[in-house]
Amino acid sequence: MKRKLLGVIDATTYHDDLEDLLTHRSLAALPFGGRYRIIDFVLSNMVNSGIRSVAIFPKMQYRSLMDHLGSGKNWDLNRKQDGLFFFPSPIVDNDKNKIGSFEHFAVNLDFFYRSTQEYSIISNCYTVFNMNFRPILNWHSSSGCDITELHQTGGGSMEMYLIKTSLLIKLIETRNETGYTCMKDVVNDLNSLYNVCHYEYDGYAVMIDSIENYFSTSMNLLKSDVWKRLFLKEQPILTKVKDEPPTKYVKGSSVKNAMIANGCIIGGTVENSIVSRGVKIGKGAVIKNCIIMQKCHIDDNCYLDSVILDKDVKVEAGTHLTGTALSPYVIRKGTKQGALMNS
Amino acid sequence: MGKKKCVAMLLAGGKGSRLNSLTRDLAKPAVPFGGKYRIIDFALSNCANSGIDTVGVLTQYQPLLLNSYIGIGSAWDLDRKDGGVTVLPPYAESSEVKWYTGTASAIYQNLNYLKQYQPDYVLILSGDHIYKMNYESMLEYHIEKRADVTISLIEVPWVEASRFGIMNTDEDLRIVEFEEKPANPKNNLASMGIYIFNWNILKEYLEMDDRNPESSHDFGKDVIPALLEENKKLFAYPFKGYWKDVGTVQSLWEANMDLLREECDLDLFDHGWRIYSVNPNQPPQYISSHAIVKESLINEGCTIEGEVDNSVLFQGVTIGKGSIIKESVIMPDAVIGSNCLIERAIVPFDVRVPDGTVIRSFDDEIILVTEEMLSGLYPAF
Repeated sequence: MKRKLLGVIDATTYHDDLEDLLTHRSLAALPFGGRYRIIDFVLSNMVNSGIRSVAIFPKMQYRSLMDHLGSGKNWDLNRKQDGLFFFPSPIVDNDKNKIGSFEHFAVNLDFFYRSTQEYSIISNCYTVFNMNFRPILNWHSSSGCDITELHQTGGGSMEMYLIKTSLLIKLIETRNETGYTCMKDVVNDLNSLYNVCHYEYDGYAVMIDSIENYFSTSMNLLKSDVWKRLFLKEQPILTKVKDEPPTKYVKGSSVKNAMIANGCIIGGTVENSIVSRGVKIGKGAVIKNCIIMQKCHIDDNCYLDSVILDKDVKVEAGTHLTGTALSPYVIRKGTKQGALMNS
Repeated sequence: MGKKKCVAMLLAGGKGSRLNSLTRDLAKPAVPFGGKYRIIDFALSNCANSGIDTVGVLTQYQPLLLNSYIGIGSAWDLDRKDGGVTVLPPYAESSEVKWYTGTASAIYQNLNYLKQYQPDYVLILSGDHIYKMNYESMLEYHIEKRADVTISLIEVPWVEASRFGIMNTDEDLRIVEFEEKPANPKNNLASMGIYIFNWNILKEYLEMDDRNPESSHDFGKDVIPALLEENKKLFAYPFKGYWKDVGTVQSLWEANMDLLREECDLDLFDHGWRIYSVNPNQPPQYISSHAIVKESLINEGCTIEGEVDNSVLFQGVTIGKGSIIKESVIMPDAVIGSNCLIERAIVPFDVRVPDGTVIRSFDDEIILVTEEMLSGLYPAF
C-alpha cells in the first residue's frame, strides 16, 4: 500500500450556510461528534486503508486546522518516509468550492513529481463517513478506468476521485490547454478523452454543507445504527488527544440519549445532545437537543433547547435559549450569554 | 549527555501481592486507576509538571505491559532528545545476573545511568502512590535546608501510625530518629518513600550498603538508618494533600470512590497540574435513553444502557440494558451483559460478565471479580 495510494485532501471548501461556525476556522476544522473535527473522518479512513502519505491543501483560516493536525502524530503520520504534508494556498481568490483545484495543486507540483505512489485518491474534507479505500483501489486498477468517481448509492457524487498519479500530474500540467480547473470539470465533461467510471458506495456518508444538515447529522449520531456504522473498533476515527480526565457526573445530573466527551462535569439534565470535551453544566440546567462544543460553561438553572454553542461560550445562570430543529440557535465562539440579554 | 540538575529514579518493580489477581500479570504501577489512568501516571505526571525531564524507571516484576505502556514517554512529554524516560530493568554482568533485591540495590545497580547526567540531586520515587506533588518545591526546600537527604512526610492518623515508617524530628524538622513500623509511635509523620539525595551522598552510601553483607538493601531499613547514625543532615519535608498507597483491593476501591466526591482532594480537572496518561482515542461515551447515571466517573468509549450509580468506569466499558452497577469500579473494555447486578466490586479489564449475573458484597469486603468466579456463577434473575 505504501507505494500504491497517495491521499490528497482538499481542505479549501467554504460553505456560506455554515458561516456562523466558520468565522474562526476552516470547514475542515469544524468540530463534530463531541471530540472530532470533520477532516478526521477522511484522514482516519485514509490511514486505516493503509495510506502512509497524505497531502492536505488548505486555504485561509487554517490556524485551527494546523493546530489540530500538528505533526500528524495522532494519525501515525509523523514519519521519516512519507507522512503528512501541508500545502496552504498562496492564491486567495480562487473558487472556494472546487474540489481538487489544479491551480492549487500546480503550485505544489513538485510534491506530486516526488510521490512514489502509483495512484492518488483526491477527496473533499467535509464528509462524515467510515470507509475503507482498499476495495476501491482494487476495483479501479482492474476496471480499466482512467478516473473513478465515488458515488453514493441513490445519491450523487461524493466528490472523491481515484486516479493514476501520472494522469493527475498530466491534468495539472495541461490545465491551461484543456481548460479543466478541477477534478469535477474533468469528470463532468461529456467529451472528455478519459474513461470516467462511477463506484457505488452504499455505506453511511453525509457531506456537511449547511447548519441544518450539520445539526441533523450530529443528532443522528445518537441513533445506534448510525453510531455503529461510524465508530468501528477495527477502523477507528482518530483525532487529536487532549488529556482530559473522565467525565464526572455529580449529584443532580440526569442524562438520557447523549454523547458526552471527556473532561466534562455534569450537574444538570442532558437529553438528546452532543457534549464536547471539557464542558461544565451547572445544577438545575436543562440541555435538550443541543450541540455543545469544547469548554463551554453553562451555569445553574439555564434552559437550552435546539442550540449550537460554539467553543468557549459562557452561559450565565438562569439563561433561556431556544431554537428549532430546522433552525437551531447558533451562539458564536467565545461569547457570553446572560439571562438579562435575552429578557 | 548533558548535565542535569536533578534526575528522578522511579521504582516500579513492585508486585503488589495484596492486589491479588489484579497484579498476576502486571506490576502494581500499571494497575488501572480513576477511570483512565494507571497508578504510575501520577508520579510521571508529577515529574513532567515539576520540570523534571530525566526519569529512570526501574522495572522488574511483570514488566511487559509496563514497558509498552511507558514506551518512549511521549504521553508525559518525556520523549526528549537529552534525557527523557529510560526503562531500567535488572541486567546481567559478565560475572553474575543481578536481580534488584531491594530499593537501594535497584538504584545502586543503575549508578552508571545516573553518572551519565552528572546530577547534583537525585529524586527517588515510588510508582505505587496516588498523589499530586511539586517535586521542584521539595528540591528548593532541600537546597534551602542545605540537607544531605530530604524525605517527604505525610501526617497519618495516629491509630495507623504503627503501619508506617515514622520519622521523629526536632523543631527545625531535622530528622533525629527513624522507626520502621513502631509499636508505640512517638510521632504520626510517615515516610512517603520520596527522597531527594545529594548525588555524592547517594553514591557513597549505596556503595557502602552494597558492601554490607548484613543489609537488606532497602532505603527505609538500611540506608536511612546508616545516614542517621553518621549524623548526616536529614530533613523532613511535610506534604499536605491527597496521598494514597493503593496496596490492597479495598484501598484501591476506596481511592476510586474518593474521586466521586464533589469536592475531591485529588482534583483531576486542574489544568494547571494535569495527570497525563496514554490516551486510548475512542469515541465519546454514549448514554442511552434507558440509562441512569448517578454520581459517577465515566471515560470515553463507554456505552451505557443500564444504571450506573456511584461507580468508576474506564474506557470502552459496555453496560447492558437493565443492569445495575453500584459502588463499583469497572476496568477497561469489560463488558457487563444485561440484567446484571454488580455492587461493591472491582471488575478487571476485558472481563465479560454474562447476562443476569449477580455480584454483590454483603459485608464490608470488596469483591474482586475473576473469570474463574464467573464461570461458576449462574443467572440469578
